[in-house]
Amino acid sequence: MTALAAETAGRTAVPVPPVWGIALTLVLVAVTAYVAVDQRLGLARDLAEAVVRAAVQLVAVGFALRFLFEHTGIPGSLGWVAAMVLLAGRTAGGRASGIPHGTRIATAAVGAAAVGTVGLLVGARVIEATPRIVVPMGGMVVSAAMTGATLTLSRIHDEVASSRASVEARLALGLPSAEAFAPHLRLALRAAIAPAIDQTKVVGLITLPGAMTGLIIAGVSPVVAIRYQIIVMYMLLGAGTVAALVAARLAGRALFDDAHRLRRIES
Amino acid sequence: MPPLFTLADVSTMRGSADEHVHPLSGVTVDIAADRITVVVGPSGSGKSTLLRLLNRLEEAHDGVVSFHGRPIGSYDVLELRRRVGLLQQRPTPFPGTVLDNIRVARPAVTRDEAVALLERAGLGGGFLDRRADELSGGEAQRMCLARTLAAGPEVLLLDEATSALDAAAAKVVERTARDLAEGGLTVVLVTHDLRQARRLADDLVVLAGGEVVEHGPATRLLRRAKDERARAFLGGSS
Repeated sequence: MTALAAETAGRTAVPVPPVWGIALTLVLVAVTAYVAVDQRLGLARDLAEAVVRAAVQLVAVGFALRFLFEHTGIPGSLGWVAAMVLLAGRTAGGRASGIPHGTRIATAAVGAAAVGTVGLLVGARVIEATPRIVVPMGGMVVSAAMTGATLTLSRIHDEVASSRASVEARLALGLPSAEAFAPHLRLALRAAIAPAIDQTKVVGLITLPGAMTGLIIAGVSPVVAIRYQIIVMYMLLGAGTVAALVAARLAGRALFDDAHRLRRIES
Repeated sequence: MPPLFTLADVSTMRGSADEHVHPLSGVTVDIAADRITVVVGPSGSGKSTLLRLLNRLEEAHDGVVSFHGRPIGSYDVLELRRRVGLLQQRPTPFPGTVLDNIRVARPAVTRDEAVALLERAGLGGGFLDRRADELSGGEAQRMCLARTLAAGPEVLLLDEATSALDAAAAKVVERTARDLAEGGLTVVLVTHDLRQARRLADDLVVLAGGEVVEHGPATRLLRRAKDERARAFLGGSS
């Protein structure tokens, strides 16, 4: 272990890879680069950008989190999670182009999922309200919620584009917009939640998930690590579902006007 | 008899305030009750938009649409749509059986009532338990007609409702429309098929470029339309 690694790991006694070891992993990037160039995939530029961005982003985040943990306490951590919610909402909203107020809907969905799930776990004292817990847990929740909102909104967009006649047939029978769109909303929710259920089913069999892997690397017994992982998996399932449901409900309203007419959306 | 629908200087707008088109512009026309009114005109002339104004699937940007002498916006929109039924261009079967489809319009319908509705739409009672997505195009469209009738409308709007059907199936829907009109239902039908208009229309509304260029009794307009664009369309398409 290098001096830097020893200093960095000092407080937790976690074995930390030396800087030259990190540099060595560039060999794996070189393999990817070789395949991209050799197979003329047209991805070399993207790859270079991704590799540099990942390193710069992670270094920046590492220092930012250290600052957060040491100096800002819970208010700073909540601010960090709020910023992630805004960013995730914007990203998911971008996938919902054409749905009125798509970005606002996605942000509300991700925010509701984050507040609901992390709030429940902190409130019930399942997890501690400390920056070291709230920030990474919040990050995982926001990521799962973003996926749930994105899948829901993009499916709703597709449903409106492909099934306008069917929705209007129900409206023309005098059904209110919520009932007329309900079958399509159910399809969107199913499309958003099913992957999370599948992922929950195979956890530990196909992949060792991140939280558990991190704890095991940090020297925690796998039997203890699974406690966190079970919490995390159920939390992510809940977060994705809450985000999907909120996004679906809000989008379902935004797509119709007061006279139960389906708005025209950009395809 | 006062007209069932009155459109007074009605315009519609599609698009944003900056960039938009007017599918209908300054349309003034009456639609009589208990008759078949056929709306004809070239593609893009605003026929479907006019039809959709009558059950508020479209909204007038300017002007007033009245139903039974009252502005259409003063009715509860869901009740209005049950009174003014719409059959779309293509069949839209919902998941489930034919009976399930009819129950979307009338949840408490009995099997006997559903059979009567199917027979009214030119389908037999044997279709009741068939899966809706396994019907042929013509059968599905007639099921959709039965479903529309299940809501108990006093007006039936047909939006190019036979254009996706073969000739035999189209004939059945036409005959059904005629029977319904004779039974006291008001029918407003949009078509680009002038032969169909000749077969069915009591009254004709001719649209061109989003404007009503002629309207009146079909026999008169088909014989001698005053407007040049109407003459060109009615003469050219027959």
